[in-house]
Amino acid sequence: MQSSTVNLPRIVAGTLVVVTGLQLCSGALVTTYDAAMAVPDWPSTYGHNMFLFPLREWLGGPFDLMLEHGHRLWGTVVGLLTLVLAGVCWKWPVAPAVRSLAVAAVALVVLQGLVGGFRVLLDSQTVAKVHACAGPLFFAVVVAIAALARRGGEAVRPSTPLAARTAAGLVGAAYLQLVAGAQLRHLDAAVDPRTFHFLVGLHLLGAVAVVGLGATAVAATRSGASRGAWGWSRAILFLVGCQIVLGGGAWVAKYGAPSALLPEAWRMSQPVVARSGSGAVIVTGHAVLGMLLLGAAVALAIAAGALARRPVAAAVRGVGKGAFA
Amino acid sequence: MNRQPILPPTLVLVVVTVSLAASGCGRTPAASFRPNLVAASRTVEPDAEAEKPWREWAGNRQRQVATILEAMFGTPDDPVVLPETGLDPAKIQLAAGPVRSDIAGRKNGLYREHCAHCHGITGDGMGPTAAFLNPYPRDYRPGKFKFKSTWRDAKPTHADLVTILNNGIVGTSMPSFALLSPAQVDALAEYVKYLAIRGETELALYTHIEQELEAQDSLPEDRGFLVDEILAPVAAKWQAVAEPSAQIPVAAVPAGIDFALGGDHPTNKESVEKGRKLFLGDGGCVKCHGPTALGDGQANDYDDWNKLVVEARKEVGGGLETAHGVSTSAMSPEDLAEHKARLEWLETRTRVLDGDALKPRTIPPRNLRLGLYRGGRRPLDIYRRLYTGINGAPMPGVGPSAPGGKGTVPDEDIWHIVNYVLSLPYDVDGELGADRAMAAKDRF
Repeated sequence: MQSSTVNLPRIVAGTLVVVTGLQLCSGALVTTYDAAMAVPDWPSTYGHNMFLFPLREWLGGPFDLMLEHGHRLWGTVVGLLTLVLAGVCWKWPVAPAVRSLAVAAVALVVLQGLVGGFRVLLDSQTVAKVHACAGPLFFAVVVAIAALARRGGEAVRPSTPLAARTAAGLVGAAYLQLVAGAQLRHLDAAVDPRTFHFLVGLHLLGAVAVVGLGATAVAATRSGASRGAWGWSRAILFLVGCQIVLGGGAWVAKYGAPSALLPEAWRMSQPVVARSGSGAVIVTGHAVLGMLLLGAAVALAIAAGALARRPVAAAVRGVGKGAFA
Repeated sequence: MNRQPILPPTLVLVVVTVSLAASGCGRTPAASFRPNLVAASRTVEPDAEAEKPWREWAGNRQRQVATILEAMFGTPDDPVVLPETGLDPAKIQLAAGPVRSDIAGRKNGLYREHCAHCHGITGDGMGPTAAFLNPYPRDYRPGKFKFKSTWRDAKPTHADLVTILNNGIVGTSMPSFALLSPAQVDALAEYVKYLAIRGETELALYTHIEQELEAQDSLPEDRGFLVDEILAPVAAKWQAVAEPSAQIPVAAVPAGIDFALGGDHPTNKESVEKGRKLFLGDGGCVKCHGPTALGDGQANDYDDWNKLVVEARKEVGGGLETAHGVSTSAMSPEDLAEHKARLEWLETRTRVLDGDALKPRTIPPRNLRLGLYRGGRRPLDIYRRLYTGINGAPMPGVGPSAPGGKGTVPDEDIWHIVNYVLSLPYDVDGELGADRAMAAKDRF
């Protein structure tokens, strides 16, 4: 029975946000530990049905096997919950946009599962990059569903055009940063040094864009925007600050102090330790925080009315007065 | 209440398609060994006597070398280990190929996972990240290694490579792999030797081409030539370091030195003072490291890897200048054709040096007051650096250059220099020149 006080789509979508976040963490760890091919077959696991793979071999085996198999199992949880969400959105009175997004989420999760499988079957870094970029996209869709379901389909009060545009730009910039990051994380050793140079430059430029957009979002939502938009924009600026620290840390954890830029005296007195736990946390944390930033940017965009079809400028001019009442 | 569709499905579809297409950009190139084009392009100087056009025989020669190397060493994914190399095929298999676990759950492709991003799949020090790192990652192909226990020009022992892998190189981007299992580190060390032997074989083939062949000639492809004449001498150098005589002798530490006490301890003072005098005098250290040991002596030298590129650039630049300065109006058609071929060759070499070699960097002498010792901070490590110098770097040794030789400093006195060097980071009363005391900022 549908209760007027229980917003089931929001509850399921909120749960899916958390479950997907955990899946993104495990995926990022799989990449950090180069564990994607720890199970060389798919959809089976070393010849076993994936769900019947012996627990002792999973948890007691090599670390990378534990990560990869766990990532696959958790992926099925994400897939099932997405189907549940789509069913709930189908039955529940939600906005058409939520319903469309739920359909997109199902399509994406199926696609993501298949891409993940083919990444293993083809042992392809190119497919791995697609897999790494589709994950955050799915996360963004799920966050959008959760944010929109919260409002029961009601459109938000429009912010200023600047806030709306900045929020939309932030979603794009945060996602492009994840795309550039995925290219760096799944870098094939056969590529030319100039490609890496270009990607690092792109990633740094993207970081500048995200910082600029984050700061602009705070300024633009300070007045004339909803409290939600103001809160999200401040949270984003904080996350961006943390992300810059983690980004620098990720470089140091992998290559040591940037020796080509710093004087010799600034170099680290101890060598970097490959595969250290702290290094893995920093590098993985950078990737995960990037995805959280994308989710936060989507929430801000919705709170700021950036994704509303009705032109914000028209509403502000009063042409559409009452449209958002 | 407004229930407008906020995100139409078509827009979602477009975003998804564009994003995924963008994410798959930059197709993965197939893993293959990159030819040593810097060496190859040097050996194909146009020859007026050659019957075929320059580009044709130059291309044929490069393809022949690549075919020979593939037959002798296989590919990155499917390596061939000839018994003459003395390498362990099982270890090579563990380190080679793409990163994946085998049926026993054992991870293969260790080199691709841990090393190739900096050192390159070929071991040419031209991995994707190389240009960002200072110093550049080591190019294994000349078979030169800096930090080892053997004579200056000798190869490192397997244990030397394992030590570097376990310890990393402080002050550089070379990490410590101490958290890998001993079997994995062992396999990586073996694979480094495999890449070095392959690279040296390639260089030996080009040296043979340069010294023995006419322009239109092909390399012999019989086993006698390729294995006995080319590979065996290369592999023999690696196998020779298994003999105890390959290790440099280590003199007993003289009485009155206790490294555990520090340079300013009264026990060590006399030794440190002796070391300082040797540092400034017979040791010749002062020339590069400077009288203050801040590394402020000469700073314009290159290591062997960079020197090769610098010299090639000079040679090509000089050749181009000469060629462009020649008047072609009075040339016969034959001379003009040769002139054009030569220009084309020099321009090809310029492109190769721009695209297949990193921009040369000088190698500054170490600031010994920072306490960063790349080859290891144990007194024994520093003794070895002093004794033989650093292979491939301008740092000369103060010990004999070969067994039975005579060094500039007696073996046991090297320990005094070691004591002095180890005392430098703690020497707060150093003097900067004759007129002023060393301030903290001078150290950096």
